[in-house]
Amino acid sequence: MPLKFDLSKCTGCKLCQLACSASHYDVFNPEKARLKMIHDYNDDGIKIASKSCIFCKKCEKVCPEGAISNNGKWMIVDPEKCIGCNTCVTNCPTKIIFLNEKKSTICDLCGGEPKCIEWCPKGVISLRQKKGAAV
Amino acid sequence: MNSLMGKYLKINLSSSVIADEKTPVEWVELYTGQKGLGSRILMENFDPATDPLSPENKVVITTSVMGGTIVSCSSKLAMTTKSPLSGTISDGSVGGHTGAELKYTGYDAVEIIGKAEKLSYLYITDKKVEIRDAAFLKGLGTFAVDAKLKEEIGDDELKVLAIGPAGENLVPYACISSEKYRQLGRGGIAAVMGSKNLKAIAIRGKLGVSVKDIEGLMKYSKEVTTRDEVTSDDNEIYDLGTSCLVDYSQESGLLPTRNFQEGRFEDAEKINGQSFKDVRKNKKGCFSCGIACGNYVVDGAASVEGPEYESIVLGGSSLGIGNREKVIEFNSICDDLGLDTISAGGTIAYMMEMTEKGLHDFGIKFGEIDAVIDMLTKIANRDGIGDEAALGSKALSGKYGGEDYAIQVKGLELPGYDPRGSWSMGIAYVTAPRGGCHMSAYPIAEEAWGELDPFSFEGKGKLVADMQNSQFCKFSMGVCDFWPINDETLGRLFELSYGGAWPADKIYKTGERIFNLQRMFNIMAGFDRKEDKLPGRFHKELLKAGPPKDIAYTKEAFDKAMDEYYSYRGWDELGRPTIEKLEELGIEKKFIEAYKKAL
Repeated sequence: MPLKFDLSKCTGCKLCQLACSASHYDVFNPEKARLKMIHDYNDDGIKIASKSCIFCKKCEKVCPEGAISNNGKWMIVDPEKCIGCNTCVTNCPTKIIFLNEKKSTICDLCGGEPKCIEWCPKGVISLRQKKGAAV
Repeated sequence: MNSLMGKYLKINLSSSVIADEKTPVEWVELYTGQKGLGSRILMENFDPATDPLSPENKVVITTSVMGGTIVSCSSKLAMTTKSPLSGTISDGSVGGHTGAELKYTGYDAVEIIGKAEKLSYLYITDKKVEIRDAAFLKGLGTFAVDAKLKEEIGDDELKVLAIGPAGENLVPYACISSEKYRQLGRGGIAAVMGSKNLKAIAIRGKLGVSVKDIEGLMKYSKEVTTRDEVTSDDNEIYDLGTSCLVDYSQESGLLPTRNFQEGRFEDAEKINGQSFKDVRKNKKGCFSCGIACGNYVVDGAASVEGPEYESIVLGGSSLGIGNREKVIEFNSICDDLGLDTISAGGTIAYMMEMTEKGLHDFGIKFGEIDAVIDMLTKIANRDGIGDEAALGSKALSGKYGGEDYAIQVKGLELPGYDPRGSWSMGIAYVTAPRGGCHMSAYPIAEEAWGELDPFSFEGKGKLVADMQNSQFCKFSMGVCDFWPINDETLGRLFELSYGGAWPADKIYKTGERIFNLQRMFNIMAGFDRKEDKLPGRFHKELLKAGPPKDIAYTKEAFDKAMDEYYSYRGWDELGRPTIEKLEELGIEKKFIEAYKKAL
């Protein structure tokens, strides 16, 4: 059940990334967020993009230690089994997985109530519903 | 554990010595961060009589103590120096993401002194600090510097503070660009960087910021931003940005037109908030800001983030230009060349009026937009007539006369509010420490756009001083002007981030202390009441339309209001803080001793 973004509303404030790092690590650090918003000027004008877990489960498939699983809604990392080998990081198609204190770190939707959604002031982020599910 | 990083960076460009220093907690307690801490670091071992363009002048970059946290619009970055334009202490701030980025390198502040042997840039990260060769950036505009440094370092998230050709050529109103379209505009700090052979500062930090009480801060921060409607889509500053003020000023008859000769512009509707909204492509917010006042606009071949109200006025109505695309072009070219839109526009408007009045032929008249664009490039390159225009309106009027038409205070050109339409803006202009500026206090919101009589000085000395005191603490704590936060809320956010007890009266007192510290600097640099004056035009000429029509703004009434202002501040009749006042504020003894010698 990945996050969904309406990029036309994004202002690039990074409150989502701050809420993410604060809720998981008790620190304000956009580098430690499990999603990333890009909102920068370039030669063509302005580039707006998002990076987040798309729930493709590739990390689960490639993990050599069986440390990654899912509950049908989000990915789950078992820190006891994770050896910090980086395999999930290099194989993640969106490049959003990172190691924190040598352990794999993947969006867990904050257990179902994502802080990024709660803190976004412009309603950019929502949960993508499964096909056929009521919206 | 709190939100102070605990160290600041000292860089001597002459000796190439780079050192970490502990951030003195006693300085933070007295002056907090940004504006206040920047002023304090500048004044350490510093003679206020220093030549602004000498290696001895300092460039001080400061973050805010709440910077990098989730507190809305609290991550601005300030730079403080002695201004080459006004000769006063001068600090400016810039929004965007650069302040938070610097905080994430682990530094609360950076002090730069000396002069590099060759053109250089600084590279500051959480792992290393280097002075690097900038030969490949020589002569480039700020947009190209931003792009080239990202390419050179290989990081799109690099934040760059860059000077353009104007700064390299020591134009005294050269500005610094950050993230392309965010400007640290006033007072010529880019010329001070240029005098140090410092082309840019590239910043990338990956550390985090901790706070005293993270749960408490997140709960309270969300509560007060909702309460104050900071994040509301109905917030006019979100809907239109500062361009919404064009209609306000026009309605109030104080929209500077043709160098403040008039207060209503016939083409105001072509350059008002709605007009710019019509060509808006995207909204853009600063770091941690729920307001998002920024507007990225594209019109024909011209694009910019903005234009902000002051640029619309000084690059539009005050030049007699009511062309939206050309105002955007004016703004964008100034940003790229590294020129302050207000001072550049104000100086050119003076030249236009002098030419039209036949007092001196500068070869440029109101409404001549192509000549304006051409002039900007000549100013930045100090080419021909541009070398004259680069002096600024005060110095030009000293050379060619027409002092009444040089619309400046202490050499700093005035922003977009005619004080004849909102009287206490005049008090704010002449008492702002960096010269003619609207940021120290904004009483127009209470007068022309509020409930108070805009054409009376009654109680206005106190009004302006009280606003300045609160603003100076608010800005030192890093909070943006666009959050109308009260002192109590500000103090509570600071307590949850940094710790200690910061009740509303302490917030007010801290701001008053910082304001007086900057005034002391200026007194020691040779200023007093004689420089606290408005251009003659405002007292000698009447506006002829709208609410201020035919109402005299007399010098006598203004002087009387200034007497009241000085008295309320505890300053003497020459506008100098008394020793008793400085001691009451807890200003450090060594500064008071130095100040006594200067009196």
